[in-house]
Amino acid sequence: MAILLNKETKIVVQGITGREARMVSAYTLRYGTPILAGVTPGKGGDFVENVPVYDSLELALKNYPMINTSAIYVPPAFVYDAVMEAISNKIRLIFIATENVPQRDAVKFLTLAKKRDVKILGPNSVGIISPIYKMKIGAIGGDRVERCFVPGSIGVISRSGGMTAEVSFMIKKAGFGISTAVSIGGDQFIGLKPVDLLKLFEQDIETKAVVMFSEPGTNFEEKVAQFLSEKKFTKHLICFIAGKFTENLPEDTIFGHAGAMISKGIGKPSSKIKILREAGASVADKFDDIIYILKRLLERDNNGR
Amino acid sequence: MARFTEDKIKELLKEENFPVNDFYVAESVNDVKKYVNNLDFPIVLKALVPVGKKGKAGGVHFASNIDEAIEKAESLFVKIIRNYPVKKILLENKVDISKELYLSLTYDRIREAPLLIVSTKGGVDVEELGNIYEYSIDPVLGLNPFECRAAWIKSGVTGKLLITLGELTSKVYEFFVKYDAYLLEINPLAVTGNNELKIMGTLMGVDDVASFRQKKIVSGTEIGIERYWKPLTEREKKAIKVNESDPYRGTARYTEMPDGDIGFMCGGGGASLLLFDALIAAGGKPANYSEFGGNPTAEKVYGLCKVILSKPGVKGLFVAQNITNNTQVDLVAEGVVRAITDVDINPHKFPIVVREAGVNEEIARAIFNKYKIEYYSDEITLTEAAEKMVEKMKKVYGNGNSSK
Repeated sequence: MAILLNKETKIVVQGITGREARMVSAYTLRYGTPILAGVTPGKGGDFVENVPVYDSLELALKNYPMINTSAIYVPPAFVYDAVMEAISNKIRLIFIATENVPQRDAVKFLTLAKKRDVKILGPNSVGIISPIYKMKIGAIGGDRVERCFVPGSIGVISRSGGMTAEVSFMIKKAGFGISTAVSIGGDQFIGLKPVDLLKLFEQDIETKAVVMFSEPGTNFEEKVAQFLSEKKFTKHLICFIAGKFTENLPEDTIFGHAGAMISKGIGKPSSKIKILREAGASVADKFDDIIYILKRLLERDNNGR
Repeated sequence: MARFTEDKIKELLKEENFPVNDFYVAESVNDVKKYVNNLDFPIVLKALVPVGKKGKAGGVHFASNIDEAIEKAESLFVKIIRNYPVKKILLENKVDISKELYLSLTYDRIREAPLLIVSTKGGVDVEELGNIYEYSIDPVLGLNPFECRAAWIKSGVTGKLLITLGELTSKVYEFFVKYDAYLLEINPLAVTGNNELKIMGTLMGVDDVASFRQKKIVSGTEIGIERYWKPLTEREKKAIKVNESDPYRGTARYTEMPDGDIGFMCGGGGASLLLFDALIAAGGKPANYSEFGGNPTAEKVYGLCKVILSKPGVKGLFVAQNITNNTQVDLVAEGVVRAITDVDINPHKFPIVVREAGVNEEIARAIFNKYKIEYYSDEITLTEAAEKMVEKMKKVYGNGNSSK
């Protein structure tokens, strides 16, 4: 099953003729994921890795009506327009790789997506991967996907694109694999958030446990804790929260991702750890402990069977 | 994110026909003497520093004659307000105020929407505001005057003032959107003796990443200020220059710590946070925080690494990052090695630990090996790399020294 990506996923890449998009498209196709078309206004008729390029999404859909997912790789100034184009053309899942999208634009298209019930991942996400189906969207996995992402039963949710890979690598080290790994994006305003993904992982029979990588800022973990307390997520949840040192420095300072900022007392790693533990999640003090916690929890499951 | 000083904001507001007083910017006491001739006492003297709560910090004074103005100016020019030394003072007429209101616009991170806050008890710090009313704005629909009036009614405003307040508030929102502000505060928004509105105190911050469409206003502001809690050091300024030199290829950021001895050259927004924590947990003391990623050029890596090594007291270098999805680690190797050879570091005496895995790592390994630098790929975890770094510092400098 996996989440977000499945056998029916058919991808269009908006901004496919850019440097990054070309490279990612090549890796994605090589992995076995179908990209049916690309869009770059003014470059209709071109091909990228044998994928036809169209001047508009409408034209791409005329030729490939089965397209249901879009990957956006346009520069920051054009992201708003690209998302609007995708929403208008009834794309159901929009993945935004672009970093540095202005807040004003992000808040506006996220509000509209919510009204139209469209899923947006990102901005500033490195992608999603479901190794069981050889499906991936975005740069996730790079040129050697199997190094970190092997098929299995663990879901991954990460605020950081790079750590999506590192967490999955630790899971592999522990002897397990990935059902779906999702990089949610590091910006202050993003679409799909941890609770949205836990909802999907809860329903996914392939997923037995979820590992979540968090950073300072936001109230995502508080929302997750509430979700756990309401018994809406019943599988194992293993968490790690990075950036504890930022608590000892002045508030309203960004460290790393634009969203990693403690403000008005909200977003402190120590309170996230506390509230997640109280709600029943396993929180690793040391990142490497993820391995031992996973082993212990899943072996206990197997013995109980 | 760029934060503006009040003169710049008021200039913009004036251009858009908002009710703002004429003002002068003095850079010395002599300037003050000169400009007071154009003003009518009593006057206001305000420190021009890009931070809020200036009143409480002693940044706002009044003067009713020239001697008082000079005395107040002299005391302001030697002040440091929330880490910012006062170099400029804004001078304007004091307004005959019958009521002080508060109005602000921000992005609410929890509701993920623009937020309007109004209060009829302005003129004080945000924390002390009374009669606050908050209104969450639908960014798709905008903020209409009727919604603004509704907010002010709930905050306790009655009478004809509602009409002008509604108009003004709606226009302030348009201004907020037009200039890609993430914060716009008007405090106080004065109601004068003859029931007119006047914008007195202002604070505005503009989204850095929107500078491509805000070229007119971002010049002369401190970009990237949200990543620091104090005025930038020379090295931090240099690092920003390195980052801006090639805005389309990767990022390289640097924030200085007050002390520490480990040069922290780490990549990945998440991994860098984890690695910093891991060094501290192992007993180490990073001299800075840094973060590079998004496949930076070797030149950018080199620039960042040189800045890191140039901080006095740096006695070791920790280069680490998560297994990369798209960052070419051979370019990281190239940049780091160039910086190290540039400053003539002997890797036998100067502790260096590298953990770089990902795209093109075989080339990276060869480069680091050639220079006899302790290199690891994914045979060790990020935590283990941090522990090795601290151990190495202790081995070279002894226990007491490295953790100082």
